[in-house]
Amino acid sequence: MSKIGVVHPKRSMKSVLLRGSFIILALYIALYVVYAVQQPRALGAGAIASLVNNTVPLALASAGQAIVVLSRGFDLSLAGVVSITNVVMAVYPLEGPGGALVSLAICLAIGGVVGAVNGWLVAYLRIQAIAATLATMIVCQGVALLILDAPGGAVAEWVSYELTDRIFNFIPVSGLILGSVVCLWLLARKTDFGVALYAIGADEHAARLSGVPVLKVRFFAFVLAGMIYGLAGYMLSAQTATGSPTAGEPLLMLSFAAVALGGTSLSGGKGGLFASVMGAATLMLLQKVLFSSGVSSFYTGIFQGAVLIFAVMFSALLTRLGERKSK
Amino acid sequence: MTSRAQNTSYIAVQDKRGNAKVSRETISAFSVAVLCVVMLLGSRFISPSLGSWSQVETVLTLGSFLVVLSFGQGLVVLSGGLDLSLPALITLGGVLSTAWVGAGNPDALFLLPLVLVGCGLVGSFTAVGVVWLKVPPFIMSMATSIMVASATLGMTNGTTRGAAPELLADLMKSQIAGVPASILLLLAFVFLGWIVQARSVFGRHVYAVGTNVQAARIAGIPVTLTQFLPYVISAVCAGFVGMMLVGYSNGATLRMGDNYLLPSIAAVVIGGSSILGGRGTFLGTVGGAILLTTLGTVISAIGLNFGLRTIIEGSIILIALLVLRDEFFERLRGFRKP
Amino acid sequence: MSISGACVPAVSDGLELSVTRVGKSYGATVALEQADINLRAGEVHSLLGENGAGKSTLVRILAGAVVPDCGAMNLHGEPYRPTSITEARHQGVSTAFQELSLVPNLSVAQNLMLPRIPKSVFFILSAAETMRRASSILARYDLERLDPAAEVASLPLAERQRLEIVRALENARRVLILDEPTASLAETDWLFGQIRHATDRGVAVLYISHRLAEVREICQRATVLRNGRTIASVSLNEASNDDIFEMMVGRRDDHVRKHASSALKDAAPRLSVHSLSNGVLVDASFNVRPGEILAVAALEGQGQRSLFRCLAGLEPAKSGSIEIDGREHSISSPRKALKAGSGIAYLPEERKTEGILAGLSAATNIVVPILSRISTARLVGQKAEAEAAGPEGAKVELNERYLSFAIGDLSGGNQQKALIARTLATGARTLLLFDPTRGVDVGTKQAIYGAIRAFAANGGSVLFYSSELPEIVQLADRCMVLYQGKIVETFEDTAIDEQGLVAAMIGHRATAPLRATQ
Repeated sequence: MSKIGVVHPKRSMKSVLLRGSFIILALYIALYVVYAVQQPRALGAGAIASLVNNTVPLALASAGQAIVVLSRGFDLSLAGVVSITNVVMAVYPLEGPGGALVSLAICLAIGGVVGAVNGWLVAYLRIQAIAATLATMIVCQGVALLILDAPGGAVAEWVSYELTDRIFNFIPVSGLILGSVVCLWLLARKTDFGVALYAIGADEHAARLSGVPVLKVRFFAFVLAGMIYGLAGYMLSAQTATGSPTAGEPLLMLSFAAVALGGTSLSGGKGGLFASVMGAATLMLLQKVLFSSGVSSFYTGIFQGAVLIFAVMFSALLTRLGERKSK
Repeated sequence: MTSRAQNTSYIAVQDKRGNAKVSRETISAFSVAVLCVVMLLGSRFISPSLGSWSQVETVLTLGSFLVVLSFGQGLVVLSGGLDLSLPALITLGGVLSTAWVGAGNPDALFLLPLVLVGCGLVGSFTAVGVVWLKVPPFIMSMATSIMVASATLGMTNGTTRGAAPELLADLMKSQIAGVPASILLLLAFVFLGWIVQARSVFGRHVYAVGTNVQAARIAGIPVTLTQFLPYVISAVCAGFVGMMLVGYSNGATLRMGDNYLLPSIAAVVIGGSSILGGRGTFLGTVGGAILLTTLGTVISAIGLNFGLRTIIEGSIILIALLVLRDEFFERLRGFRKP
Repeated sequence: MSISGACVPAVSDGLELSVTRVGKSYGATVALEQADINLRAGEVHSLLGENGAGKSTLVRILAGAVVPDCGAMNLHGEPYRPTSITEARHQGVSTAFQELSLVPNLSVAQNLMLPRIPKSVFFILSAAETMRRASSILARYDLERLDPAAEVASLPLAERQRLEIVRALENARRVLILDEPTASLAETDWLFGQIRHATDRGVAVLYISHRLAEVREICQRATVLRNGRTIASVSLNEASNDDIFEMMVGRRDDHVRKHASSALKDAAPRLSVHSLSNGVLVDASFNVRPGEILAVAALEGQGQRSLFRCLAGLEPAKSGSIEIDGREHSISSPRKALKAGSGIAYLPEERKTEGILAGLSAATNIVVPILSRISTARLVGQKAEAEAAGPEGAKVELNERYLSFAIGDLSGGNQQKALIARTLATGARTLLLFDPTRGVDVGTKQAIYGAIRAFAANGGSVLFYSSELPEIVQLADRCMVLYQGKIVETFEDTAIDEQGLVAAMIGHRATAPLRATQ
């Protein structure tokens, strides 16, 4: 006798996730092919490393954002955390591998603290996420300005050399760092926290009644996201080698675009971190493709906007088709 | 056997739930207004030139930009969406007013409304994406923003030319019977905006759609039209703000709208609206906009460095959010019960 | 051990859970003033009361979701003061909630295991173990047909309700609380069987339902709440329905007899449906005359939802046609339905998610379909709304002072009244009511019946679906029974009785010998 209920090919949550990732991965590969055709040199290890280095800060930012969005929230403080960590790295450089490690710890701590404040405001004081993180972002922006009021400063050499370098002259270090974050996430998804995160994103009330510690999970989600933003700021500093009090601003809106592009629903409960990272990669690659197609830099925006719209539509369409098929 | 209740009232159930006579939105708007006044009066202690009537005039004039913009944003948020394309549309409106219309243009009176129509068309583009293509408002309006900003950049080739049409300069800087025309404009707009949001059939429809789309559909509301129009309106408002800014500062720049996006959202939220839609009043939003503007002017007057000022600004917004929470209202309403 | 003014009964009374003088207020709102209830092991105890009487607050307190302001509770002789649902569950008190506490994007298995999903290594969840345990749980409660890997959101509502109940059954060592467990179930056999297994094990069951017939079948005693206080605890054998009504409402029931049909026998049909097919529904044809109240009776999922959603304009018909006042109309949206001929107004199934516009006032909710009509120059104010909503509210006996309340603040019964007032306000001459008295107390039911009858007496047509057969018997002029998507039988007037309806609903035709019912 056939059973009641829809079963997706593998397991319900996983398969929807994979589907979203599959789409964006396919999109990325297609775009890369276009890029390689335009620029044959793009397939060289150096060019790949450069692309990866450029992509990693946005990818990490999007990863953190994805965690908050999954729990049905928004995090605008991303811009603030990245700005603060960037200026700290530039104004207080710590040399050598030991210094780099300490700097990393400082960046993670900064992100964690801001995340904790956000988590407290949103989970425990129940202020709307977009409003609370807007306020914390402004405060963080002010702190960044206090530390460094104009672009300048210099990031520690060890950081800006080693972290943009390649291992075995082949694998970009920044790519490894990004990869390990993604792996940690894939593990985290299979823990109580991961399941709880998706639960509170879909239906917080039901999750609470089911015994899920909603407040703690939401709080921790913001802290985790904050720490990942800290890491993003760290890698951004390695990339730019200098400090700017508004370093985080350009990443903010793009992080949402990356998350949506990867098929993660902005109302929570659906999607994933890997797909969001791929979304960020696609956006960065798109910029490169447009640039090398000779499109006047003034008009690249029109293409970016159009691609964003079509990609989101496409992704939503495929998800809906997939759901209908398995019914 | 069973005791007969001595209940003489035959009303089946005494609804003991809170008396909603004084709504949360009213209290919110009221508190914001109070905060504004307190801040203005308090600013006297910072500098004797503050807290004066001329400062109030300045605040109202400066605040008018944010008020007009926040009306559009507020309407979109009320309907359950979000409009991130406003800065790009402000810039578009400003650029078109100077480069296309410009000073000394005899057809200015005819051309300026066309600029607004153009902005409306852009808003329609966003609306089509949100309503028909089902692209999330966040993404669609962001995409529109990127595209419009890029087009504006390309159109002007990177530099803005032209001066403000006399019409706009007069609008923003002249005086009528001793009162700045910009303030009269502000008052007229606030009245108009209130009528549209709180007293019109369309306004009611927007509240309904923002509360629950499916329920609104079943209740017979024209959902598609109701979701469509707010984006058009917000785009026109943003374009108009661009024109106002051009009249005020006698020129346009390519980034003139950038600093207005987050404040427009902040004004809406501080004013008591829910970011999810369905709740909030325009008067509350006006209060939020004026509060933010007041905050900005008072803080600028404080001679601290930019960083500290930014921190203070953010902190005060945070305090406003903490104070204007739902639980606070419950307690206030509790005190009002007989 | 201090006794805070409350008398603590000894365990030897056979009491599992005793609750004395608990109260709970939210700010200035008193949700529960003083409630007492005692549950015995192995007994099914009913909690009765109108919407707003404090039942849901009491349930939340017992379930561990809410901490009471005062009073004392004892479980199996020990003080019972849970600070969370999980803690209550550990102590053996488990609840199946009315508003279903299942997480929609997780699987059946995960929901069953929440919040302690089985792990394999350290913190990593074991999918295999989760499935295994879930399968064995489902088998234990005769629900093998559910796939543990299925996403809960994809299950039909009835199965979700069963899953919610199973989760509670599994964790209920001492006390099982069932809040409106049959709201989405078309038949009670499975549920009552499971309840009997539980009571055999010595579990105390608290059963909350508006359906008195069910309550009498499964429960032994009942506690009645009114206005936040316990009025009485009675043995159901000794209390008549009138007694219970009086305890719940505070006055005697004015038994409204079934009145003569107002259907105009020879008039042309107002609503005419020809060979309508949509979803489960197959080839449905019927007429509704002016003044007629036509009921639809069916088990869960036999096509009634498809029928109503099609007529309301929420779903397109695969084939067939709809005629209103003799003219064919294509109804593509509820808005079009209101404008089709003399109009069709739809009362949706779930008021919370598809009916009420929560933040708006009750008056606005009532007049929202006709705002343009009551506006001057497309402007409308609170006064105009109140003036238009008042008479409609009066038709459903909605207290006038509630009109200015936010509808989300009103009790379920008052919300339902307001939604029905809305359908009346539209001026439509055909009403489509899907389960109009779902989750609504006795007093409100009578008011709604009155409004429906008055509407029909005035020449309006009513098509309604109800899962409560006594309601159909009382209200309907004619009744169609849907089975497997087809209209298998139609009963007229006095021929409408529960036995006949049930037989048709389970697939027996009138010509076949009737199966002996209990």
